[in-house]
Amino acid sequence: MDFAWSEEQQAFRREVIRFAQQELNENLIERDLHEEFSWDAWRKCAKFGIQGLPIPQEYGGGDADMLTTVCGLEALGYGCRDNGLIFSINAHMWTSEIPILKFGTEAQKKKYLPKLVSGEWVGLHAMTEPMSGSDAFSLLSRAERKGDRYVINGSKTFITNAQNAEVIIVFANLDPEKGAAGITAFILDKDTPGFTISKKLHKMGLRTSPMAELSFVDCEVPVENLLGKEGGGQTIFTVSMEWERICIMASHLGAMQRMLETSVKYAKERRQFGQAIGNFPPISTKIADMDIRLETARLVLYKAAWLKSQGKHALREGSIAKAYVADACIQQALDAIQIHGGYGYMTEYQIERELRDAISGKIYSGTTEIQKKIIAGFHGLSDVPSAAPARREQG
Amino acid sequence: MTEPGSIKAQLMPFVMENAQSKGINQVSDDDSLTASGIIDSLGVFRLVSFLEETFAVRIGDEEIVNDNFESVRTIEKFVAAKLAAKGEKAATR
Ligand SMILES: Cc1cc2nc3c(=O)[nH]c(=O)nc-3n(C[C@H](O)[C@H](O)[C@H](O)COP(=O)(O)OP(=O)(O)OC[C@H]3O[C@@H](n4cnc5c(N)ncnc54)[C@H](O)[C@@H]3O)c2cc1C
Repeated sequence: MDFAWSEEQQAFRREVIRFAQQELNENLIERDLHEEFSWDAWRKCAKFGIQGLPIPQEYGGGDADMLTTVCGLEALGYGCRDNGLIFSINAHMWTSEIPILKFGTEAQKKKYLPKLVSGEWVGLHAMTEPMSGSDAFSLLSRAERKGDRYVINGSKTFITNAQNAEVIIVFANLDPEKGAAGITAFILDKDTPGFTISKKLHKMGLRTSPMAELSFVDCEVPVENLLGKEGGGQTIFTVSMEWERICIMASHLGAMQRMLETSVKYAKERRQFGQAIGNFPPISTKIADMDIRLETARLVLYKAAWLKSQGKHALREGSIAKAYVADACIQQALDAIQIHGGYGYMTEYQIERELRDAISGKIYSGTTEIQKKIIAGFHGLSDVPSAAPARREQG
Repeated sequence: MTEPGSIKAQLMPFVMENAQSKGINQVSDDDSLTASGIIDSLGVFRLVSFLEETFAVRIGDEEIVNDNFESVRTIEKFVAAKLAAKGEKAATR
């Protein structure tokens, strides 16, 4: 068991923090208000190498192992206050780059990865539908094979990066008779006739990250755009979620550290009743709680990342980390606001935004309830499987 | 007849536990485990962890495809190939 980052990792961490603090925080209050995505910051991150961190060098990436990637994303979360930008980057990496890297053909990897890594193209994945959220595999989108093409019909909602994406990984059922085993992933180019962004969505937090509903009407995709195998969609989705849950939460660790440090500083500076508020036990205890939370959150997340960097699977550990860190980050923001009193509630202090941004951590990449369902499943406790036709008929 | 100690003998208790938890009491070698819901997306990962532990093999993300885990027979074949590759590696070391 080794709890230390290597010297290179520490240097990398410092470099990411410096870059993020200097380059990524401009006009954030305004951009949050007007829901503006920063292309400038996106491109700077790509140039720095963030989007390509875990991708092999032959496709332009940084070839970093999972722990180093987590180290970089945590540093990014610490230095960059634009949680929406970080969210968009994570969605791009784990739900478009990783599925193509892990399940794509060599031709697909060569076509898509270099441009996704360089930031020229933005990627997304479209799974959620109006009638299927947590029960993702009961989706109603359909694909049909017609000669050398697949024809896709359906609609998707809550799709991150929708307005910016060139590369769309869409899940549709090719063989509904087979239930979830018919779900298949396709790579769609944004100019495909029949594909439209049907409605822009506005949200409580992560407002600098674009989101929309998508519509697919007789969208024709050449057979070479099948991702993985027919019926392989479930696994592709689950593998990308395993990566995403760990890595997206790494940036939360950085945000949690930032909130702790800001709160400590404020508790020392702000005086009431003739002394620093940090002298009052209810405040110092909150600081201690924030520290405990950060430390424990790091342990669960690093453990999951360590397993992945050893080439092992970490679906259970990833779910534990996702559920734990999501809650921890929300509580961290609540404590930070409380310590800052009325100032913490004001937009100018940029802590209320942290809370708005943090809340979605309990919803995306599988809600906290679903993470607990996955964890319970590892103990042999599972309810009726979704989208299994045999069971459906009985039920 | 399943030979004691064979891949299948070690695999079947896991498969049957999953099947029974879904109300299925019989699984033959070629039954589709995914289409019947015995192995769902989460079940595949539990199966992978089980195989990695039981047979001391490493299974990559890209190997988690239906072709390998579709039925008892395909799992058996997949594990046998993994063990053979491991044996070859050990032998050439
Ligand atoms: C910021 C953000 C970004 C997103 N980005 C994407 C994206 O890029 N691509 C994409 O495809 N999707 C995306 N989503 C969608 C997200 O994956 C879904 O919102 C999520 O899976 C939950 O689905 P739902 O909203 O339909 O809620 P529902 O599934 O309807 O759940 C409602 C409530 O019921 C609970 N619940 C449901 N089933 C169970 C159960 N079996 N046991 C216990 N409780 C249960 C849930 O936990 C939740 O509390 C995003 C969502 C958000 C908030």
